[in-house]
Amino acid sequence: MNPPGSLGVLEEKEEEHLATPILGPSVHSDNPQERIQARRLRIAARLEARRREALGEYLDGKKESEEDQSKSYKQKEESRLKLAKLLLCGTELVTNIQVAADIREIHRRIEEEEIKRQRLEKLENEVKTSQDKFDEITIKWEEGKQRRIPQELWEMLNAQQVHCAGLIEDKNKLISELQQELKMKDDQYVKDLKKQSDDICLLLERMEEQVKNVMKTFRQELQNIEKAFEVERQELLTSNKKKWERALQAHNAKELEYLMNRIKKVEDYEKQLNKQRVWDCEEYNTIKIKLEQDVQILEQQLQQMKATYQLNQEKLEYNFQVLKKRDEESTVIKSQQKRKINRLHDVLNNLRSKYNKQVKQFQEENQSLTLDYKRLVLQFKELQKAMRHFALIDDKQFREIWLMNEEEAKDLINRAFDVDRIINTHHLGLPWMAPNFWFLKNVGPISQRQQKSTTQILEEVLMEAEEEGADQDSSESESYLDLPKQVSARTTRKILMLLCDESGFLIESKLLSLLLPLERSECYLLRLDAVFSALGIENEDDLYKLVNFFLKYQTHHSPSSQGLLGASEVAEGCARRLKGLRVLGGPDHGYPCHHPEPLGCSVYSLGEIPPCPDPEG
Amino acid sequence: MLPAPSMQETQTIESPSIPSRSSTSTQDRSSTAGQTSSTAPQPSKPTPIIPPLAKSTGPGSGSVVRRMRRIIAEDAEWSLAIVPLLTELCIQHIVKNFQNNPILKQLLPEHQKKVLNHLSPDLPLAVTANLIDDESYWRRCCTQRWPVCHVDNHGGSWKRMFFELHLENLLKHFIPNTTDPAVILNLLPLCRNYVRAIRVDQFLPPVQLPAPPRGGDQSDSGSEGEMEEPAMDHYQLDNLVAGLSHLEELDLVYGVKDCGMNFEWNLFLFTYRDCHSLAATVKACHTLKIFRLTRSKVDDDKARILIRSLLDHPALEELDLSHNLIGDRGARAAAKLLSHSRLRVLNLANNQVRAPGAHSLAHALGHNSNLISLNLRLNCIEDEGGQALAHALHTNKCLTTLHLGGNELSEPTATLLSQVLTINTTLTSINLSCNHIGLDGGKQLLEGMSDNKTLLEFDLRLSDIAQESEYLIGQALCANREAARQRALNPSHLMSPVTAKGPESPVG
Repeated sequence: MNPPGSLGVLEEKEEEHLATPILGPSVHSDNPQERIQARRLRIAARLEARRREALGEYLDGKKESEEDQSKSYKQKEESRLKLAKLLLCGTELVTNIQVAADIREIHRRIEEEEIKRQRLEKLENEVKTSQDKFDEITIKWEEGKQRRIPQELWEMLNAQQVHCAGLIEDKNKLISELQQELKMKDDQYVKDLKKQSDDICLLLERMEEQVKNVMKTFRQELQNIEKAFEVERQELLTSNKKKWERALQAHNAKELEYLMNRIKKVEDYEKQLNKQRVWDCEEYNTIKIKLEQDVQILEQQLQQMKATYQLNQEKLEYNFQVLKKRDEESTVIKSQQKRKINRLHDVLNNLRSKYNKQVKQFQEENQSLTLDYKRLVLQFKELQKAMRHFALIDDKQFREIWLMNEEEAKDLINRAFDVDRIINTHHLGLPWMAPNFWFLKNVGPISQRQQKSTTQILEEVLMEAEEEGADQDSSESESYLDLPKQVSARTTRKILMLLCDESGFLIESKLLSLLLPLERSECYLLRLDAVFSALGIENEDDLYKLVNFFLKYQTHHSPSSQGLLGASEVAEGCARRLKGLRVLGGPDHGYPCHHPEPLGCSVYSLGEIPPCPDPEG
Repeated sequence: MLPAPSMQETQTIESPSIPSRSSTSTQDRSSTAGQTSSTAPQPSKPTPIIPPLAKSTGPGSGSVVRRMRRIIAEDAEWSLAIVPLLTELCIQHIVKNFQNNPILKQLLPEHQKKVLNHLSPDLPLAVTANLIDDESYWRRCCTQRWPVCHVDNHGGSWKRMFFELHLENLLKHFIPNTTDPAVILNLLPLCRNYVRAIRVDQFLPPVQLPAPPRGGDQSDSGSEGEMEEPAMDHYQLDNLVAGLSHLEELDLVYGVKDCGMNFEWNLFLFTYRDCHSLAATVKACHTLKIFRLTRSKVDDDKARILIRSLLDHPALEELDLSHNLIGDRGARAAAKLLSHSRLRVLNLANNQVRAPGAHSLAHALGHNSNLISLNLRLNCIEDEGGQALAHALHTNKCLTTLHLGGNELSEPTATLLSQVLTINTTLTSINLSCNHIGLDGGKQLLEGMSDNKTLLEFDLRLSDIAQESEYLIGQALCANREAARQRALNPSHLMSPVTAKGPESPVG
């Protein structure tokens, strides 16, 4: 809402109040949209007004006040300048007399000095001439003393007298001149006095005039200034009055409008009230009827409810009786049960104590047995060692005996040969040819069977297993290996198969592709061969170590390692171990553990883990 | 008429008691006064009232003589307001007997005021001097004694004015050897606290009984001075000044006023004894701020005696030795005083200072930082002295007012002064009137003025300057004055030209 500038003089609020009802939507309108619109406009107007006040209005006001001031200010300034000029001129006029007196005094002094100088000169001249004359006269006195003739003397005296008279006359003349001058000076003094009194009179006159003038002009200027102020004040008053009147008119108009609005609204409201009253009456009646109906229905329902209530009460009473009976029964049963429970509890306690005792006993037994077992295992190992030792020693002895016998035999053979040669050459004359028998060169016992290579062992194992697969009851004692007895051939086979299945990463892919078309057992054999070569297992002992390793692993990891190992369990342990290996080795075919040492190390490190305690605890 | 008496009757029964009751109440109110005094007005009240009442009621009803008492109160004009209050009566009494029994301080302030309003201004000073401080009383005293009273010249205090004028009057008419010195000395204890300034424009010489022998000698004052010096001494101020503890201003003229055609040279004698005693007096007065000794024929020797006593004076600010006969030696002494005191105003107008004296003054001025105003009007320092002063103004940063009117200055001084004008920023007023500055000098001064922004007054009347340059200088001064007014923002400076020239105009 930007009303035309004609209202600019009015205060913003008034302007706003004036403007809102005239144009744009009203805040008091019935339409809510319109009301919102109106409020928005009002806020915008307020902001606008504030902004204008901050910028333009401020400047306008300032300018205005300057213009307002300027009239009186101008008057004041004018008066000030005028008065200053007046004062300055007046003072100058007054002091002019003083200055004039000063300059007169200066001139007088100069003249005086000049006259004084002339007078002094004159006096000096006079003194000089009169001195000359006096000297002349005194000289003549001397001359006169020499005169003897009275005539001459008289003449001379006369002459002297004339001279003296002349001198005196000169002096008198001078004196009279000076006296005349003095008189003139006196006159001058009187004149000066008069002149000065005139001057003073003039000065006083001027001063008075000046004072009068100044007072007059001051008064006049004061009046002028007052008049200017008065005029300004009048103007201000009239303008303010006009403003006020305009504002008042606007206010009245607005008031009237408000009144009209109010009356209209009152009427409206009255109408609405009437309408509302009628409507309310109708509604009241309908509701009353409805409610009465409701009351009736509810009463009916109440009756029904009462009936059902009685019925239910009877039912419940009956139920109550039944339940009471039941309760009594249940209390009897409960007591019985309780007694039973007590008895059972006693039994349970006895059993528990017994059980505990037994557990303790078994544990002790178990411990002693395990100790026995350990001792036996140790003994067994020592026995084995001793056996091996003895086997070696036997071997050695056997060999030594063999060698001794062989040497003996060879000596006998050589004697025989010598004899034969001699016979041949000497007796038969036949060239003798030394017979070449293999045993001649033989040294040491002829071994029946060479040490088996791993592959051979494997072959055998596999074959054996296959055979075993055919007849299940074949004894295990046939196993050439001194493996722990609990490992059956089947288990061994399973382990080996697992090994070759799981450790495929140790076999070269080329070989694998080559092995594909072969037979199963053959394929296994080749694979195992490759695996063992990769692991660096070459002879029986190594294989034994490997198996042992697997077994140990199994014992450490499975709690139920007592007694016979299930084949599946062993196989499982092997598989786990192999997985560990794979993790260690990664997919590299040139895995560094060609030697059993790293495996042993890992075994020991794993072996440090104490066996799990018995779950029986 | 008929119902009236009945009305009166009804009133009369109670009426007599009313005044008595009221009178007692007044008594109670003013019970501070003695019982005797309170009873005194009591009888006087009814007595004057009765006769008129009797007269007025007589013709109305002559038969009611019996009811006299009742009629008394019926006077319509009578009221309590007619009866003077006891306090009024007491005050009147106090006023009447103030001379014998001055009671003032014991009274309440409002009563004091009343008493003071009714006191006669003719009361002896011995009673009033130290008792009454009220300005309005002293105002009455002053206006009664002197037709023209400028209270502004006496610090705005009527009491001070009264005592100063009174003392001045006594001193003016004191004739040595005939008037009793006790007249003045008796006044001393009364006025010592109020007199701050002594302004005496005449000292009467002792009356000479053998008049004839002096008649012939009067033309030669010098020989006469020697001969009759002891006899011609004026009143010695030393006792008086020593007694005045607040004396700040001493304005003396050793001369006779209004002698008219009875003029004699020996009426204007400032003897060596006068001089010595004055010097001692001034030296002893440590509160003195302003010392003026004008129109008193002070020559070099006397000036030297006076100035020697003023050296290192603790308070002196203004020294005025105008209209005397001071020559170069006196000027040299004054120059010495400039560097040995805190003198702010020095006035040597209308003396006989020539170039050497001006030289020494200029030398002192060059190093001085106290002097504000220097007046050398109507001397004869000529160009040589003027140039020396102008040189001194190059270095001086304090002087604001310089008066060199009537000093036979000419163009060379003007040239130097114009240079000073361009540099100096302290000078506000220069007076070069009655010199022979000449046309060229005027032009040079105009040039100097064009660069100056501080000078407010520059008097060049009767100094042979072209009117044009004088006008232009006036314009520049106007501009400077406006600027100064803008700077000061207070309008007081408007009055400054008046005050600056104020003291000169009465002298001229």
